[in-house]
Amino acid sequence: MSEYLVEMRGIKKSFGRVQALKGVDFHVKRQEIVGLLGDNGAGKSTLIKILVGYHQPDEGEIYFEGKKVFFRSPWDSRKVGIETVYQDLALVNLMPIWRNFFLGREIIRRIGPVKVLDVRKMKKIAREVLKDVGIFIRSPDETVAFLSGGERQAVAIARAIHFGAKLLILDEPTAALSVGETRKVLEHILEAKKQGISVIFITHNIYHVYEVADRLVLLEKGEKIGDYDKKAVTPEKVMDIIAAAAGVTK
Amino acid sequence: MGAEKIEAEGFLMKILRLKELGAIIGVGVFFVLFMFISERFLSVENLASTFTMASELGIVAIGITMLMISGEFDLSVGSTYAVVPMIMAIMMNHGVPSGFSLLVSLLAGIGIGLLNGFVTLKTGIPSFITTLGTMMFWRGILLAVTGGFPIILERSSKVLKLFGGSLVGDLRYSGAWFIVLAIVFGLILERTTYGNWVFATGGNLGAAKALGIPTERVKLVNFMISSLLAGIAGITTFGRFKIIDPTLGQGMELEAIASAVIGGSLLTGGYGSILGTFIGAFMIGMVRSGLVLAGAPAYWYRAFIGVILVIAAIINARIRKKVAG
Repeated sequence: MSEYLVEMRGIKKSFGRVQALKGVDFHVKRQEIVGLLGDNGAGKSTLIKILVGYHQPDEGEIYFEGKKVFFRSPWDSRKVGIETVYQDLALVNLMPIWRNFFLGREIIRRIGPVKVLDVRKMKKIAREVLKDVGIFIRSPDETVAFLSGGERQAVAIARAIHFGAKLLILDEPTAALSVGETRKVLEHILEAKKQGISVIFITHNIYHVYEVADRLVLLEKGEKIGDYDKKAVTPEKVMDIIAAAAGVTK
Repeated sequence: MGAEKIEAEGFLMKILRLKELGAIIGVGVFFVLFMFISERFLSVENLASTFTMASELGIVAIGITMLMISGEFDLSVGSTYAVVPMIMAIMMNHGVPSGFSLLVSLLAGIGIGLLNGFVTLKTGIPSFITTLGTMMFWRGILLAVTGGFPIILERSSKVLKLFGGSLVGDLRYSGAWFIVLAIVFGLILERTTYGNWVFATGGNLGAAKALGIPTERVKLVNFMISSLLAGIAGITTFGRFKIIDPTLGQGMELEAIASAVIGGSLLTGGYGSILGTFIGAFMIGMVRSGLVLAGAPAYWYRAFIGVILVIAAIINARIRKKVAG
């Protein structure tokens, strides 16, 4: 068995004349939390979107559990166990919690030749799973719009864990959260790791990820400019490296 | 006491969460109002003719609702409503068997939707514009082909009777179609995977895509449903009159959208219900016949519907804030 859960080799991607990624190598080990850091426009999102199949790379290869893969759509990557929680794209606000929880993975039952949603079962599971991760909801019929930012992240993370994700990708999960809620989301991330899941944590705030990360990968202008074991660096050093690469000097 | 309060609140929320609440109250109010204004309002024949009118509009509105929930629009339904039965009428007058004419005209209806969807999704222009264009295009074709004259069916047809003929007494088949189609699409929307995807596609397109929902296919199918149902509705009207006027259905697209909005659907997508649309269409039909019975000139009807639409939208928005944020 490969030591790496995911390995991306020499990934290049251009959009028109803009070279978003200039040959990036990136990997995630099993049960590892990797902080993916970089300024806005560094290429973090593009790299992740390629990993999940939202975009296809111009050059480069992707390996998942040691096998070469080619994802044509996010659906393909979801099937092998890569779950992404986007900041604004995780849940549908106007839909009830239970519908969100099972979106794209609805439980159906057959009535004769007709396949219908097993509403009762889905509501029950959604309620139980959320209770397990410590989110108390009054009713699974409640729409997501009523949940706080942290609760929404938690629902999305719980959903990923429930559906057996092997790799969980979190896009700026703490960007819009209060201090208390950030803490809770970090706990959910550590819980996911405890259950054997690897996590990619995308952020431009080193202080949010430093506490939970095992390793830090730094991107700038489409290139990897650093890959550190967390214990080897301090948050201040990481900030300096990013700033220096971006051309900002103190 | 605390638990009781929570329970009572839960019950209240359950009622408020009914997307159709506003429309139900509205229908109730108008029903009582018209009942007092005119004693003929409650007569069987009036209720039946009200329901027939509501049905022909409502079948169109069901398709519009599906499409609106997935975040797109169809302004061409009024034209489709006339084009589809016109194709059927011309074919039948040329001696083509009515069953085959029906099949071809309904396929043409689906084709109109396919075209709307294809142009919208491939070019990325808003469906409001695409279907405004096809609305004018098909209406123009219709007028050009007929020279502006109505086409009269030259023979009788059993098939057509199954759409617009009398079912029992004053009740027509169109009413049965309306009920059956509302139940079928209501179940599809609320109780199937596809329905779940329709809500997600209109509610948060990015999230739906990220979760692997085939959003383009969902929209394309809904464009086809919308124009197919508009075509079926047109055939029920054709079956009632045995005559097709090339101006038939002008303005219907807006009444269909009004039905959906009165029934609680959001113009911006992601929220709505077929039952609400059913009630909305019924309410519009009821106001139309109620005003006539009340002795108001027929012209007042549009002004009235306009006011109802705005009030309904405001009430629905208030309720939705409470239950859906």
